[in-house]
Amino acid sequence: MSNRRDLVSYQGHYAGSVSRFAAYAVDLAVTSAVFSLTLAVVSYAAKIVTGHDVNWNRSNIVVIVLFVGWQFVYFGYSWAVAGRTFGMALLGIRVVGADGSVVGPRRGVIRALVFPLSFLFFGLGFLGILVQREHRALHDLIAGTAVVYSWDARAARLRFLAREAELNPPPPSRSLTAKVAALP
Amino acid sequence: MVNPRDRLRSAGRRNPVEAIAQQVTERVVDLLVGALDVNELAARIDLNALLDSVDPNVILDRVNVDALLDRVNVDALLDRVDVDALLDRVDVKALLERVDVNDIVSQVDMDALVERTDLGAVIARSSGGMGTEALDALRSQAVGLDRWVDRWVQRLLRRKHHAPSAPATLLPTEAGL
Repeated sequence: MSNRRDLVSYQGHYAGSVSRFAAYAVDLAVTSAVFSLTLAVVSYAAKIVTGHDVNWNRSNIVVIVLFVGWQFVYFGYSWAVAGRTFGMALLGIRVVGADGSVVGPRRGVIRALVFPLSFLFFGLGFLGILVQREHRALHDLIAGTAVVYSWDARAARLRFLAREAELNPPPPSRSLTAKVAALP
Repeated sequence: MVNPRDRLRSAGRRNPVEAIAQQVTERVVDLLVGALDVNELAARIDLNALLDSVDPNVILDRVNVDALLDRVNVDALLDRVDVDALLDRVDVKALLERVDVNDIVSQVDMDALVERTDLGAVIARSSGGMGTEALDALRSQAVGLDRWVDRWVQRLLRRKHHAPSAPATLLPTEAGL
């Protein structure tokens, strides 16, 4: 595996499979948690109003439709407005146009609409992230998008070097503050 | 310096006729010089043509510049320079416009600067924090795993040509970091 010092130089490059799947896992966890919390709040409110317990069955078609609709809103809005979801922001990746341009609302919504297609045939559409030369999945190819690393690598590199420097301080003679203090 | 009349004077000591001739000649020369308007004569000289015929390099070759500079008192010279007046005449803005600051900055080794000076500690204290550090570590690890998986896939597919690393518009800016 590469040295961490070299890894921070990939900003703007096509994001790889691990980052993308990790981001999706985070998004799935967040959306599921928010959805479950919302259902719990709604159930509690319904119980107060009606006096009856409301139990949501996960195999209930209404719950499934609501969950899919919520997923579409979450991903579609995030990609259209910011070009990234919460999970993507955490992993430092974002959606761009195939040429690197800003993804924009139209392509963001299209991407969210065709996103389920990649799940068909046991997730065959996601295979493109592994084998396609630009790491583009089926929904990327249809929507004309790509995913790139977008975190501030330069700042991260400086922070990394700074932490190393703090752990191993420079010799006193080369200290910048000492040189500044010695100025007339 | 040789006076042309010396030869006549020495000849006059030997022969009285020559002595008379010498006195006549001196008188004529004096009258002639008195009648000459030197300024008018100088005005008729084409100085540019004269200077064109002079090779400055030949003159400079014969000048001992080191010896000349040794005789110059630079401190005294600088004491006579009004630096403030000199700087007032300098258009600093125009000067800075001619300086390629980006080129200068690009020559600075930021890594070495951060590693070898207290600047690193300053950055660590101002921008550090457990959250940022954890996020940097998470992203670095993810990128490392991405590259590792990608290398194996490329090896399995036996691809020899490198794929484009980034979208075209991102290559010269972000990807070039």
